Amino acid sequence: MTLAHPWTAAAGAAIIALCAAFVRRAHRRANGRAFAYSNLEFFDAAARPRTWIVPALDALWLLSFAGVAIAAARPHLALSAPASNSSVIVCIDTSGSMASTDVVPTRAAAAASAARAFIAASPASVKIGIVAFSQTAIVLAPPTDDRAAASAALARLPAPNGPTAIGDALESAAGLFPPFGVHAIVLITDGVSNAGRDPTAIVSTLAAQHIPIFGIGVGTRTGDRIARTGERATLDEAALRGYAHSTGGSYAQADSGETLRAAMRRLGRTTTEARRDVDCALAFALAGASGLCLAFLIASAVGTHP
Amino acid sequence: MTIRDALLNGRRRPKRRGVGATPASRGDGYEFAELRAYGAGDDARRIDWAASARSGELQTRVLLEETALTIASIVDTSASMNVGRARALARAADEALRAWRASATADDRYIAIGAGRAEAFDLVTSLSRARRLLPRGAALLVIGDWYDLASVDALEVVMLGTRLDCTALVARDPWHDDLPLAGFVRLRGAEGGRRRVFIGARERGNYREAVALRERAVRAQLGGAGWRTGILAEQDGAASLRAAFGVRA
Repeated sequence: MTLAHPWTAAAGAAIIALCAAFVRRAHRRANGRAFAYSNLEFFDAAARPRTWIVPALDALWLLSFAGVAIAAARPHLALSAPASNSSVIVCIDTSGSMASTDVVPTRAAAAASAARAFIAASPASVKIGIVAFSQTAIVLAPPTDDRAAASAALARLPAPNGPTAIGDALESAAGLFPPFGVHAIVLITDGVSNAGRDPTAIVSTLAAQHIPIFGIGVGTRTGDRIARTGERATLDEAALRGYAHSTGGSYAQADSGETLRAAMRRLGRTTTEARRDVDCALAFALAGASGLCLAFLIASAVGTHP
Repeated sequence: MTIRDALLNGRRRPKRRGVGATPASRGDGYEFAELRAYGAGDDARRIDWAASARSGELQTRVLLEETALTIASIVDTSASMNVGRARALARAADEALRAWRASATADDRYIAIGAGRAEAFDLVTSLSRARRLLPRGAALLVIGDWYDLASVDALEVVMLGTRLDCTALVARDPWHDDLPLAGFVRLRGAEGGRRRVFIGARERGNYREAVALRERAVRAQLGGAGWRTGILAEQDGAASLRAAFGVRA
């Protein structure tokens, strides 16, 4: 929360402090007219007064005054909300290593399932595009708000084969975004970029365009043998984390189908969120005024001893 | 009947003992107590010949010993007695004390037991002093709110009740019937401390029960130890003392 007029808040705090001092003085005076009782310990044990009521009312007074003082300082809250006109391109690795079975049933099948979870969890206003990549990148679906079309595109994912051209995938994705709006790329891969363009340059361009990359590393950290080639399928986590960090995105590793789906569902809710600056002076003012009225009514209704 | 009569009656209550035994409270006085059948060892000078003739068997006159009473008092002078609904309980205690002193004759000995000038009142110390200072059979009146009874050794209370003719006036809580408090209340303890509390119907109910319970418990403990107990009402201390002895004004 930020304050547009912090000095007003400081002045409000000073006024509250003065009020507190005044109330304290009034309390001291009132103590002189207090009800005299022979033995307070016995009174406490006998009447068993509810000890939370008095502090609760005091707290209500204090919070209400604080609410009014904060309202005077024009507070602004930075809230996250789904951005309008937002697009996400999901880039799915279909290289040969995605046939590995360390993620059940295979990394490719788990990635497709996770992409469906992502589509289901994304707000309806978000346009989603699908890009598959191995030797080259193929656009399976341009950004669309038609969820059925996006899901149908996943059914056309090629069988795992070939090297991993992460740079080409990112470049294809960047070219699919409309000129305006909030954009993001979700990169699901399990390997090292070993074909096509160098991803580093593309990542720099994306960072300059404020397009974050949310990387998901698929596979166990120990890796698995690729069925056809016998090579060990490794995960270049450092590179993926680097892409994410340099563009303002995030990276997560998923070594099972469920964790992959959970990560994608989470991304589905947050990738296109935008921080909105909300003026909440009115809310604070209303809350403070309501609290003051309530505290006054309670104090008046309950009263003091005759 | 006066309070003194009540003390004497209590003191001289004839006890059925073995024939020939000499009760501690009976001796060579002039006040007639009762007639009883002659027993071996009885002084022949005490035989009531007229009564013997009437009943057909020897009757011995029992005479009460003529002794001055020792009357003592302990009054709680702590700040907790300076509270009250219309006036302080301490004033009622003063009235009861005056009535107690008035019950003594010129021949009686009066001992006031209490805290020294520089000392705060302490029930434990006062009762201990009474046990040490007072002769067996002395009449002791203790007036107070008895909040400290829990700190008094129970054996001390029993010993006092056995050795002395003890009477306790338990100051009735001025708000015994109902607590006149509602809502947010400031309380000031007579012996220190402050509170700001919320008093609702639940608290008032709790209070009524606890006060009645405490009063009953104090009287039951003292009564069980052989003490005569009464309630010191804020309105009239002297009447409270008389009521404790079952004496009318």
